[in-house]
Amino acid sequence: MRGKAVYTISVLCLLLLLASCTSSKVFSTDYYNQHEKTLSEIEQSYKKLYEQNRFSVGFTDRSFNDISLEIFTDSIKYIYEFSINEPRFLDTLKKFDLPVQGIVDLINKMKSIQCIWVNNLDYYSNNQKRSLVFLSIRKLAFHLPFLNEKYYILTFYSQPQYFDEQGRLLSTRRQRKLRKINDDIFHRINDKVCYTVSERFR
Amino acid sequence: MNRQLKNISRKRPLFLAFLLVCGIITASAEDGSRLDTTPLSTRKQAISFLEKQADLRPSNFWPNVNPVIFIQNLRNNLEDPLSIHEGKSTNFCAYAALSYIPLHDDPLGFIKFMLKIYKEGKAIYGKEYFEPSKEVKLAAGTLTFKGELDIRPADQLWFMLLADHFKGYLNFFDKQYNPGDENRLWAAVNFAKYNRMVRKLFNYEVTAVGSDLFKPGIRDMYEYLADKLATGIVTLFVNNVNLYKRNQTRLKFGVPTHFVILLAVEEVDNKIAITYWDYGGRTRMLITERFFKKILFGVSHATKKTADAR
Repeated sequence: MRGKAVYTISVLCLLLLLASCTSSKVFSTDYYNQHEKTLSEIEQSYKKLYEQNRFSVGFTDRSFNDISLEIFTDSIKYIYEFSINEPRFLDTLKKFDLPVQGIVDLINKMKSIQCIWVNNLDYYSNNQKRSLVFLSIRKLAFHLPFLNEKYYILTFYSQPQYFDEQGRLLSTRRQRKLRKINDDIFHRINDKVCYTVSERFR
Repeated sequence: MNRQLKNISRKRPLFLAFLLVCGIITASAEDGSRLDTTPLSTRKQAISFLEKQADLRPSNFWPNVNPVIFIQNLRNNLEDPLSIHEGKSTNFCAYAALSYIPLHDDPLGFIKFMLKIYKEGKAIYGKEYFEPSKEVKLAAGTLTFKGELDIRPADQLWFMLLADHFKGYLNFFDKQYNPGDENRLWAAVNFAKYNRMVRKLFNYEVTAVGSDLFKPGIRDMYEYLADKLATGIVTLFVNNVNLYKRNQTRLKFGVPTHFVILLAVEEVDNKIAITYWDYGGRTRMLITERFFKKILFGVSHATKKTADAR
């Protein structure tokens, strides 16, 4: 009886160890390959919508029911929290003259692939302002309580980027300096898409 | 009465001398209190002063701060004081928040200080003498990957010299600047340090409730904040992870990590609408009082010291 309990505990510990050792690179590239089409649609549709009205949107709960919407005007940023089926959500989109159907479609696409956040991020390269699309994905693996959850971040650039021999994102071709975004080092998925693992999804 | 005094003066010359000294001290304190007012100036005065600095030469003390971009940055701060940006991932939020005060109430004092320290490498601001370390002088203007802060060398210089000069218990293990320290404890600010900086730099009367660990226990949040806003500048010390929902972890150990300037507060449908400044712009957010109490750790209220008030 005692031997069985020890065996069960050992198997559980091994499973936990395996869950914590999942390679982030494998997850990110696998995830990207598996959902490339949807990710690309999200990026393109967000870019198009953002050109009309500046906003960010994401899910703030684990069940993908609550959303946080940030709307930027010239003078102020508005932050709203809604439940996805709340009439207030659509009313707010209309109030700010945002494309309702486009944003609802975007949110549904995000939910379908467990993407929890999308925003436009400005950065500077040689003192020139550039922007990228920033997507966060929650890894749906076992999560130990009391430990910070990890998120996979994908960044989409308009131009091909430069990388070192280890596939790490560089600031420019000439400078061999690693480019950090939100203080994280990013890795290559392809010339225009990078990933990292972070404790914060935005 | 006179006779009594004469008697005292004959018998107790030391006591008379004591009275005389007390009189002198009281008189000078009264003069001092009249002079102990918050310095004020206008944006127009500051811009006019800055326009005379067009021929600013490169500084030997700040080799990585280009004078043309430095002046441009200062001008932007004057024309759009809310655009000052702490940068992404840095611990400069407190320094950016307190910059709201001089940029609105004494921009000329701020500009004069910035130009003096740029030209001479040392200067006095309020009650503080600044002579930044060599490491800080070399690093200002070189910070990158911080978003908007990348192209604002004057703001880099200002935040770094404040972090270099003012120390609190959070800085105990990281007092000397090393590259990357702008994101670490070297730049961190605890609540008492923030209030001390405002008092010493800008000569404001600062009252504060709350702390780095315990919440202020305000009963009616709206009423309290509306009352404070009506009489001064209000800084909120909040938990940033909860304010901006940066993770979905259910168990969140709330500690305050972020300073914002409260600009307006309203009651809307049993909720509180707060408008605040941080990250180079204004944000309006509708939150429940319960959530507000959960994220708020400190309220700092700064009022001007005026001659009339005394």
